[in-house]
Amino acid sequence: MRLLRAGRWITAIALLLLAGVYVRALVYTPVERLQGLAQKIYYLHVPAAIWAETAMIIVGIASIFYLFLKDPRLDRFAHASAEVGTVFAVLMLTTGPIWGKPIWGTWWSWDARLTLALFLFLLYVGYLLLRSAVADPASRARFAAVLGICGMVLVPFVHFSVYMFRTLHPMPIVLKPSEPSLPGSMLATLLFSVSVFTLLYVGFVTQRYALSYLREQLEATAGGGDSGMGHA
Amino acid sequence: MPDTVPQNGGYMVGAYVVAAVILISYALSLYLRTRRSLRA
Repeated sequence: MRLLRAGRWITAIALLLLAGVYVRALVYTPVERLQGLAQKIYYLHVPAAIWAETAMIIVGIASIFYLFLKDPRLDRFAHASAEVGTVFAVLMLTTGPIWGKPIWGTWWSWDARLTLALFLFLLYVGYLLLRSAVADPASRARFAAVLGICGMVLVPFVHFSVYMFRTLHPMPIVLKPSEPSLPGSMLATLLFSVSVFTLLYVGFVTQRYALSYLREQLEATAGGGDSGMGHA
Repeated sequence: MPDTVPQNGGYMVGAYVVAAVILISYALSLYLRTRRSLRA
């Protein structure tokens, strides 16, 4: 299957480039004087957060189109994006507290940004649970699309929560209306990392999409899918 | 401004290891799930 092969190649290249990100971030990017080495967690945490949010926006857009067009490819794509978004959300929610402990002195704070980011992760989990709980493919796709659109609506609140509420979380220093306030070499590392995470997202989603397609084909040949809950 | 850089490299190493484990585990999980479906 061409799509699966392409997804595997893209993922393999992205993982190799991720090793390059590690080398660039750990060896060739200067250490921030106030935060020390812990600041370098930024080069993983921010791209993971960007893709955790973007993946949910993509789920929402695909879901809106699905509700109008009823094209199963859109549902498959939304499902793939949600699963990959969950992985990036886990990455965001693990690297964030590891940075927070040495910088804030605590692993977690129930402030607006952190709580909304956790809520985004729980929405992803809810989306995937909903999909595995509904056996009928048409109902499953319709219910999931509604939840996906709700998730998309949440994303601006996650991103702009640092402006709307008094939070412990730092303000954006790259994705903001004015110019990025990050030294050139650090910005270059961050942009490299964001590009690699983008490639990872594409590789993962392509493979996940191909996996859903394969499972649907198997269910169709098995005579209407007696596995029910087994649908990912 | 502090004279010395904070010594918190352990947290950085921890975060980079955790990130690698999460991403490689997911890549592996996708590979194994598709292989299982292809064999079925």
